[in-house]
Amino acid sequence: MIKVMKLVNYFFIATAILVMAACGGKNKSNASLAGAGATFPLPYYTLAFKTYQDAHQTEVTYGGIGSGGGIRSLKDKVVDFAASDAFLSDADMKKMPAVVHVPTCMGAVVLAYKLKDVKSLKLTGDIVADIYMGKITKWNDQRISSINPNVALPNKSIVPVYRSDGSGTTFVFSDYLSKISPSWKSSIGSGKSLKWPVGIASKGNPGVSGTVSQTEGAIGYVGSEYAFAQKIAYAQLKNAAGKFITPSLQSISAAATGDMPKDTRCMITNSPASDAYPISCFTWLLIYKDQKYGSRTLGQATSTVKLLNWILSDEAQKLTAKVNYAPLPKKVIDNAEAQLKTVTYGSTPLLK
Amino acid sequence: MNDTIKIRIVKDKIFFGIICFLSSLTVIPLIAILWQLLRKGYRQINWHFFTQSAPSTLDAMMAQASGSLIPGGVANGITGTFLMVGMAAVVAIPVGIFSGIYLADKQKGIYASVIRFLTDVLQGTPSIVIGIIAYAWVVKPLGAYSALAGATAMVIMMLPLIVRSTEETLKMLPESLKEAALALGAPYWSVMFRVLLPSAFGGLFTGILLAVSRVMGETAPLMMTALGCTAVNWNVLKPTSAVPLLIWQFYNDPNLIDMIWSSSLFLMILILGLNLIAKQVAQKWRI
Amino acid sequence: MRQENISDLFFRRALFVASIFILLICAGMVYAMVSGSWAGLSKFGFFHFFFSSTWDPTLGHEQYGALSFIVGTLLTSVLALGFCLPFSLSVALFIGEYFKGKKVANVISSVIDLLAGIPSIVYGLWGFYTLRPLMQGWGLSEQGFGILTASLVLSIMIIPYAASLSAEFIRMVPRQLKEGAYSLGATHFEVVRSVMFPASGSGIFASYVLALGRALGETMAVTMLIGNTNDLPTSLTATGNTMASIIANQFGEADGLKLSSLIALGLMLFLITAVINFIGKMIMKKFTV
Repeated sequence: MIKVMKLVNYFFIATAILVMAACGGKNKSNASLAGAGATFPLPYYTLAFKTYQDAHQTEVTYGGIGSGGGIRSLKDKVVDFAASDAFLSDADMKKMPAVVHVPTCMGAVVLAYKLKDVKSLKLTGDIVADIYMGKITKWNDQRISSINPNVALPNKSIVPVYRSDGSGTTFVFSDYLSKISPSWKSSIGSGKSLKWPVGIASKGNPGVSGTVSQTEGAIGYVGSEYAFAQKIAYAQLKNAAGKFITPSLQSISAAATGDMPKDTRCMITNSPASDAYPISCFTWLLIYKDQKYGSRTLGQATSTVKLLNWILSDEAQKLTAKVNYAPLPKKVIDNAEAQLKTVTYGSTPLLK
Repeated sequence: MNDTIKIRIVKDKIFFGIICFLSSLTVIPLIAILWQLLRKGYRQINWHFFTQSAPSTLDAMMAQASGSLIPGGVANGITGTFLMVGMAAVVAIPVGIFSGIYLADKQKGIYASVIRFLTDVLQGTPSIVIGIIAYAWVVKPLGAYSALAGATAMVIMMLPLIVRSTEETLKMLPESLKEAALALGAPYWSVMFRVLLPSAFGGLFTGILLAVSRVMGETAPLMMTALGCTAVNWNVLKPTSAVPLLIWQFYNDPNLIDMIWSSSLFLMILILGLNLIAKQVAQKWRI
Repeated sequence: MRQENISDLFFRRALFVASIFILLICAGMVYAMVSGSWAGLSKFGFFHFFFSSTWDPTLGHEQYGALSFIVGTLLTSVLALGFCLPFSLSVALFIGEYFKGKKVANVISSVIDLLAGIPSIVYGLWGFYTLRPLMQGWGLSEQGFGILTASLVLSIMIIPYAASLSAEFIRMVPRQLKEGAYSLGATHFEVVRSVMFPASGSGIFASYVLALGRALGETMAVTMLIGNTNDLPTSLTATGNTMASIIANQFGEADGLKLSSLIALGLMLFLITAVINFIGKMIMKKFTV
């Protein structure tokens, strides 16, 4: 027993020493930036910021506490930038000083399912809406089998799975369903958290995909980067142009080829483009248009704008595809850069 | 032996049997959880685990593709946890013990009853609410997420356990102990520090250990106060990582999910270590 | 003599100052929560909010009510306490009395301490991957999530608090008391029942209050296992939600009326914990007088 205790003692001391040694490798940085917000782009942001950090002597911290948390942090001025899957509405914009939205990458919401022998599945928007409203309850329902002629669908109950936590993924998903189905729009509507009539709730992307993978007959909506990385089975969706599209980085980027407002605030679900995946979305970083607030220094403001500018660069956009996010198309990048150029410190613009 | 005595003896034996049975059953969930953690996590624990910061999702993806271990470790989390728990303990332990002594001394009186009552109510507050409060009290005024805010949340979570265990332990000490020391002419503070507290060490330590174990594993309040950090950070006014925060990050990342098990395993071993060391120290001091 | 008085004075002042900390923290918390929840409570009315079980976040007709969460919280915590009671008491007696000082007691004691150190997210994951299929397999619950599953995991989580602390108090019962009872011919069981429990009763009660507090406020593990449906639970195996869980789930994305309602929930939890503690103390008073 004493021997065990001695061993544990040494382990403890060893941990402490090793960990102290770990700090030796920290690089001296001039500035440090902090941002908070959406969990959807968290894997990409941690990768991107880490890459930026090593090259630019700037420490960047990002906390995935949720889009709402991020916006709140920006409102309270405790972060340099916020990240959100949903752009601020006009009403919200009025409550804060002017904010600039910079899109950083794209993703999508895919429908994962668990059916033993079904290798591919086609669905349409109103079928999905009716599943989640409880109107379609069996997998071999006539509406599903008619668009999947070569697939043997079992006579099993459909178990819809949704997010228990407030989430941008829910927002994008419900925004799409509201555009497709008028009865969805009037009874459930769109938002980050909704009153779901049927189904199981699970926390986070891992919760939904975990529940789906453990429950035969389940269907759930997951963020695309999650689905691609975990290699779960997901369905093809019929888009506005009438084609059945498999979610992929190309079909996601294709959704952004339409017109975009100058301030980049728009939802691209149900895009009319012919090869677009219908439930695609942007994610944005938000900063104040006038960076001179509180005790904010010019240096801090410049570092912030530099970081956002870098995210729009080729180097950063190439990283997106590596981790299963879709890069921004050129038109959107141009728009975003124009937006960044309007950011000032007092009266001096920060980007030349 | 007449029948009544026989029945009493049987009751005694049955009770003993039940105690042993239930105690052994209690071990089962721990073994089940520990087994899962060991099975899934032991491979990740190596030298790098302690010295390198958390890997990015790309590192993990590439490692998975090539079949090798995910690189990186949790050094930023370990240092952050140590930093914040250390700061919290430095404040919570003295304040908690002193409050406990105060409450043990004043058994009657409205003020003491109110404090006792509030302490128990504080224990029932969800950790996320404590996080929200620490956000309002420390993050907003300072204008930044920080390790200090995280430590503040931890202090609030640790206090009830330390206060109540100190109070109850002191209450259980026989009055004769205190009276004998006072009769020898010792001032009250000397009586407390030299006689009563050492006798009460067992209970005190248990309370402190439970409090520390609890805050080491809490995620929600840290999300709203310390935010997290990709590198090792010792600056208390800047965002800092912590092992539970990293576990949450790994959980939400599709490629890093395997790191949860090794991080949790590490946390458990750390707490076991703390407990064993504390018990050693307590045994040395116990009368 | 004068020196003694001064140092004592300082000491007693220091004790008093320490106790004010708790008062300040609680007062500050109540103030922050009341001001944060003002918008929601003034719109729905305090009693209506308390007794309404509608939780509708749909923009346009937002309606928030706390009843389903209050019921969920009370059910899970009380169940958890009920499940943990026999086990934690047995363990406490095991290490504090029956095998006091022996190696076995040290081992079990370390095992229990380890249980306290497992992060709540790991309990949630274990419940999700291990307990949920078990519940489905035993036919106890169709989809595995629910009040029962969450209560079971919660009871495991609070065992260390109740057991470790109670064990300490049981261990501290003066030997003379026990030996007095033995000398009168009592069996071990009778000594435990009529001497040890009354002697350490106050401490044991306090440890269960702390354990219950932990259960009331537990967030992560519960939110992963309880099913997160915002209606009143219809049975023990039904899904439901607790106050801590919905605050944790929705806080990150909430603002305006919803945020205010969530903070109101926090305030209500505070009040409910206070009421439960108060009732508990009344019960204790009855038993000791």
